[in-house]
Amino acid sequence: MHSYIRPDQFVALRLPSDMLKIVKLIPDTTVNLGKYGLFPANQIIGRPFYLTYEIDSPDEKDGHVLRAVSAAELHAEALIADADVDGEADGLEQEEGTPMRSNRETVDDASTQRLTVQEIEELKKTATGAGREIVEKILESHSALDQKTAFSLAKYTLRKRKKFIKRFTIFPMDVSLLTNYILEGRDAARTLELRDEHIGLLGCLGNVHHGGNLALDSSPVPKPNSRYFVVDDTGGLVVAAMAERMGILYPRDEDEADEDEQQHTPNKRPRPAPMSASGNTITVVHSYSQPNLSLLKYFGYDTDKPDESHPLHTHLKSISWMQLIDPMADPIYENEPPVLSASELESFKQSKRSAYFHKRNRWEKVKSVVDEARDGGFDGLIVSTLMEPAGILKHLVPLLAGSGSVAVYSPTIEPLTQLMDMYSTARRTAFIHRRREIETQGGSDAELNEEFELDPTILLPPNLHTLRVRQWQVLPGRTHPLMSSRGGAEGYLFHGLRVFPSTQKIQAAGAFRKRRKVTSTATPGSDSDVEMASTSV
Amino acid sequence: MPSPFLTPGSTAQADGLALLHLRRDQSIPTILRSYDDENQGYDEGRVENTRFGSFPHSTLINKPWGSQIIASVVDTGSRGRKSDAAKKRKADELDASGTTTGADDEKSSLKKPVSASSGFIHLIAPTPEAWTLSLPHRTQVVYTPDYSYILHRLRARPGNTVIEAGAGSGSFTHASVRAVFNGYPDSTAPAPKRRRLGKVCSYEFHEPRAGRVKEEVSQHGLDGIVEVTHRDVYEDGFLLDDPKTGRSPNANAIFLDLPAPWLALKHLVRNPPSGTVSPLDPSSPAYLCTFSPCLEQAERTISTMRQLGWLSITMVEVNHHMIDVKRERIGLDAQGVRGALVAPRSVDEAVAKMRSDENRTRRFREAEAEGRSVEDERKTLDKEQPAQTPSEIPSYGLGRLVHRTEDNLKTHTSYLVFAILPREWSEEDEQKCREKWPSAQTDADATAAPKSKRQMKQEARAKRQQEEQEAQEQSQQGTDAKDE
Repeated sequence: MHSYIRPDQFVALRLPSDMLKIVKLIPDTTVNLGKYGLFPANQIIGRPFYLTYEIDSPDEKDGHVLRAVSAAELHAEALIADADVDGEADGLEQEEGTPMRSNRETVDDASTQRLTVQEIEELKKTATGAGREIVEKILESHSALDQKTAFSLAKYTLRKRKKFIKRFTIFPMDVSLLTNYILEGRDAARTLELRDEHIGLLGCLGNVHHGGNLALDSSPVPKPNSRYFVVDDTGGLVVAAMAERMGILYPRDEDEADEDEQQHTPNKRPRPAPMSASGNTITVVHSYSQPNLSLLKYFGYDTDKPDESHPLHTHLKSISWMQLIDPMADPIYENEPPVLSASELESFKQSKRSAYFHKRNRWEKVKSVVDEARDGGFDGLIVSTLMEPAGILKHLVPLLAGSGSVAVYSPTIEPLTQLMDMYSTARRTAFIHRRREIETQGGSDAELNEEFELDPTILLPPNLHTLRVRQWQVLPGRTHPLMSSRGGAEGYLFHGLRVFPSTQKIQAAGAFRKRRKVTSTATPGSDSDVEMASTSV
Repeated sequence: MPSPFLTPGSTAQADGLALLHLRRDQSIPTILRSYDDENQGYDEGRVENTRFGSFPHSTLINKPWGSQIIASVVDTGSRGRKSDAAKKRKADELDASGTTTGADDEKSSLKKPVSASSGFIHLIAPTPEAWTLSLPHRTQVVYTPDYSYILHRLRARPGNTVIEAGAGSGSFTHASVRAVFNGYPDSTAPAPKRRRLGKVCSYEFHEPRAGRVKEEVSQHGLDGIVEVTHRDVYEDGFLLDDPKTGRSPNANAIFLDLPAPWLALKHLVRNPPSGTVSPLDPSSPAYLCTFSPCLEQAERTISTMRQLGWLSITMVEVNHHMIDVKRERIGLDAQGVRGALVAPRSVDEAVAKMRSDENRTRRFREAEAEGRSVEDERKTLDKEQPAQTPSEIPSYGLGRLVHRTEDNLKTHTSYLVFAILPREWSEEDEQKCREKWPSAQTDADATAAPKSKRQMKQEARAKRQQEEQEAQEQSQQGTDAKDE
C-alpha cells in the first residue's frame, strides 16, 4: 500500500518548521518548499516513505540535489547525550570542583549575536551544505555561547536549525496524516476538529471492519457482512477513516492486481457498476442532492469523475435523507424509464440510445441503493454531523441489525447529553407505559411519536466517552509533557447497541442497587506521602 | 466456523461465543451449547445463571442477535443429588459399553424451558470492546481507548500482519484481529490469489497463559488468523515455528506490551546480525508501539530505538473518561422525588418560602392571643394554600440536564511510544531509481515560485491598468492626430 512513493500520488512533506505540506507528485515537475528550497519530484518518486532528505547544491553528474539523511545523523545529539547519561549515572551533575553552569549570567538581549541580518541574508545566498554552514556560522558568532547551559545550547541550536536547515521528511497520505494536517491548518472546524484519537475510537465503537470473504450461502442465514451507515459533515474525513478500516480506501496497486485474472479475460471484464457491491459497503446519508466528500480526492477518488478501478466506486453508496424517508418524492426513483425491447432500441439514434441507457442505469442504481437502505439490516451507524443527532437516530437505528453499533461524534458535549437524556431510564419507562396504554385503550402511534422523539427501547443504555492524547518530549534528562498543545473542542463520543425488545410484558428482576467500591482517593492528601497513595501495579 | 467477532451473521449459533448483556458494562461471555457439555445436571441442558435469572442455552441458540431474552424457571435446588445419580449411571454405562457419552444421551431428552415471571438479558454478538470488558483477567488489560488509538497509529489495516508480544489476557489480540481481518484463510470462497490475508502473530512467554489464549482463539473461530507462539521474545525473537530457522511473520506493525521492550527490539531489525531472516515485511515500513506504565521503561526503550535507527519517535499517553448524564432536580417542590435535592431553587423561591413561614407563625401567634385552637388555624392555613398544580412537563423532563465524570477514573494507563522503521533502501536501489526517474528533464515553468491567489489578482490588476493606460494613450494620440 505504502511500500514506495508512486507518481501522481499525494504525499506530505514535514518541513523543519514542523509544518506539513501536501503535494501531488507529478513526474518531471519541481516541488517548491519556499524558503527551504526546491527539488525535482522525480528525485523522490520510487523511493520509500519516512526518509528525511536535505536539499543540497546539484550533483555534478546527474543534477541530483537531494541527500538522504541517515537515522544516526538525525538522532546524533540525543545519542551522544544518552551515552553521557549512561556513563555518568547522572548527566546533570558536573564534575566536582567546576561550578555548575546556570542562567545567572545570561544577558537578556540580542547583542550577543554578532552577525547582522544583512550578513545572514548574504550567507544564505552563498552558503552550501543545505544550511548547516549557516547554523555553524551563527553559533560561532554568538559571543556568550560558553555561558549557556548544555540544555539551553541544545534549544538554541534547534531553533536556528529549524530556521535555516533545508530538510524535509516524506509521509504517505493516510487518514491520520490528513486529520493532523487539517487540524494544524486554519480550517479545523471543517472536520469538526476531529483528532486521531477520536477517529480511532469512533471506528472501534462502531465496530467497523472488513466484511471478509465468506460466500453468502455458507452461513445458515444469508446476510451480507459489514454494511455501515455513515452521516458525515466533515467533507469525507469520517468516510475515509471508515473506508481505511474496511480496506477500501486506497486504490489497488498495479503490481498487486491479479495478473492471471487479467490474462484469462483480456478486456472482457465488465465495467463495474457504481455502488453495486453487496457487502463491505459504506452508505452515506446526506442532506443535499450530492454528498460532500471532497477530501476523498487525496486518496485518488474524485466524486465528480470517479475512477472505476477504485474500490470506493463500487463500495461507497450515497442516499439523500429525502430518498431514504420519502423515496416517492425523488424524481429519479419515482420515474422508472420503461424497459424497451431490442428492436425498439435498434430504431433509436446512437445519442438517444445512450441517453436511454444512462437514464435506465441511473434509475437502477438509485432504486437498488434506496431499497437496500430501507430494507435495513445494517451493521453499524457512524455519525459526525452538525445536525441534531436525535433525528438521525430516530430514522437510522431501526434500520440496524440486532447488536449493531451506533457511534456518534460531537465536538461539543451538549448535543450528546441531550441525546443521552432521550434514552434515560425515566423516559424509557414512561415510553413503555404510554405505549401499553395506547395498545390497551386505543390511540394512534402518532400520539406516541409526538410525545417521544425516538423509540428509547431499541438501543441499550448508551455510554458517553471523551479522550485526549497528551504528547511528551523525551530527551535524555529532559522528559516532560509538551508545554502547550491545541485547545478547542474537546470532542465526545456516544455509543449504543441496537436491540430488539421482547413483545411480552417484562418485569425486571434483581432490582438491588450495589454500591460502587471506591478503591482509593484520586489526590493524595497534603499530609500523606505520595508513595502511600499508589496502588500495586 | 466463521468467527462471531468478525462475521456474526444475524443469529446466535450453537458452539459460538455470545455475550449475555446484564447491564451497562457488565456482560457474561459464554459458548452456546446445545447439550450439557459441562455436565451441570440441569433438565434444560446447559444453563447460564445470572443475577437476573437462569437462561438455558436452548432459549438463546438461533435467536437473532440483540434479542431481549426472558429468564426461565430452572430447578437449581435438586440437581446436586441428580447429577450424582447421573454420574453414577454414566459410570455404570461406561463400564457396560464404553462408547456412549452422556452428552449424546441428554441431547434428545432436554426439558422444554418455561418462562419465568421476571428477569431478562440481551443477547449480544461479541465485539472486541465487549470482550475487553468481560474477559477473564490474567494480566493488566489494554483497554479500548488505548488500543483504538494504538491500532490507528500502527496503521493496522485489512491485509496487514501485526506482531503482538505479551498476549496477556487477549484483549489487544481480539482488537487487532478485527483491524487486519480481510478474509478467512481456509475459506472456500474464491479469494484473489496475490492478496495478502491479514494476520496476528501473538507471543506469550508464560506457558499456561499462552495455552489459554490458544484455546480462546480456537473457541472464537479465529484459527488461522491468529497464530499464538509460546516464546521468550527477549531471547528468541519473533520467527514463527523455530526461533532460528523459522518463517518470517512479515510484520507491518508491532505492539510490545512487555516489561522490558528494549530487550526485544534487537530482533526487530531489517538485517539481523545473526544471519536469520528479519521478522519485518521487507516491502513496507514497520510501525512499532510499546506500552509501558513507567517513565523509566519508556526512556530506556526510546534510547534503544534511537540506536537501532527507528524514526519519528513519539511518546504519548491517552487520557480517557466516561461521562454520566442525568437530570438534577433542585427545588422546594421536589419533596419525595427520588434523587432530588430539597432546597430553594432560586432567590425568589427562598424569599417566598420565608415569607409564607413568617406569615404562618404570625397567624399562629394571633390565634393563640385570641384564644383559638392552633390546630384549627393550621387546618385553615393549609386549606388557603393553593393546591399544587401538576406540571405540564412530564417527570422525565424535569430538572436540569447535567453531566459529570464517572466515579472511578483511570488517571494513568501507560506511556505509548511510537516509532517507524522505513524499508531498506540501498545505494543500488537508489541508482536504479535515478535511471528510471531521471531528474534532468524538469519543465522550466514549474521552477517559478507558485503564486497565491492574491498575488495573481494583483498581477492581473496591474496588467489591466497598464492596458487601460496604453489604450488611453493610444486614443489620445488618435485624437491628437485628428486635431492636427
